[in-house]
Amino acid sequence: MTSNLFFLLATFLFSIGLVGMVSRRNLFVVYMSAELMLSAVNLLLATFSKILGNGGGSVMALLMIAVIASEASLFLAMIIHLSKIKRTVDSDKFTKLKEEKKNA
Amino acid sequence: MLEVSIFGILAFFIIGGSIAMIINTQTLFSAFGFLVAMIGLAGVFALLDSRFLAIAQLMVSVGGIVVLSMLTILTLNLKSENLPLEPYKYRWILLSSFLVFPIGILIYTSIMRVSQSFTVLTTVTSKEAGKLLFSEWVLPFEMVSILLLSAMVGAMVIAKKDNLQDEEETL
Repeated sequence: MTSNLFFLLATFLFSIGLVGMVSRRNLFVVYMSAELMLSAVNLLLATFSKILGNGGGSVMALLMIAVIASEASLFLAMIIHLSKIKRTVDSDKFTKLKEEKKNA
Repeated sequence: MLEVSIFGILAFFIIGGSIAMIINTQTLFSAFGFLVAMIGLAGVFALLDSRFLAIAQLMVSVGGIVVLSMLTILTLNLKSENLPLEPYKYRWILLSSFLVFPIGILIYTSIMRVSQSFTVLTTVTSKEAGKLLFSEWVLPFEMVSILLLSAMVGAMVIAKKDNLQDEEETL
């Protein structure tokens, strides 16, 4: 069992997350893509921890899970707030900063 | 050989789930794809023999994050006219896949370069990880507790009802 497969899987996950983040406009999909990219990094940390025989990577991955959880809570609160304002989850509709810049 | 076949099944579920997450129009089906990917990732952690991480992934990511996002999706109850209209979704996904492909190759080759210098392949037990967490990594651990507290307070402040009224007037 080589570690190359794990690296390949982590790269695939990160790339899929990046594609989803760039190409979709649904805020939920953008959020889940960010989670997927963070999870790919998590997998990479765990694999390196195993390769090196050092527990630091595992501990870092554990802390990363806490960071992912807090990111999820903030992002979901943000989505609820935004969708209550405009009744949509289209990320192209939230152009408040852009419009204000145009008026000034 | 058994390990490789288990890894293949898990990788199939992870990649299939994440692709389903990207291409589905209905948000709840995307969340189901994300759920499958997260469960598969917990399986990969178990295959890496880091048991504590697998359990933590299963409890936090699957039991906490995915269920929370599904509850949010169901609470918002968005109709199809409230979802973004994406007529050229598949074209965008294809185009950005072409753009991301060289970045993926770059990431993979750079990881491989780093990993070539050491291959020890020993199991990190949860006892060892726990000892490290409370000795070497105790400051990041405490910082994570502050981060979680501030995330909780921030989520409540963002999602509370009172500041919605003045927001609606300005928009």
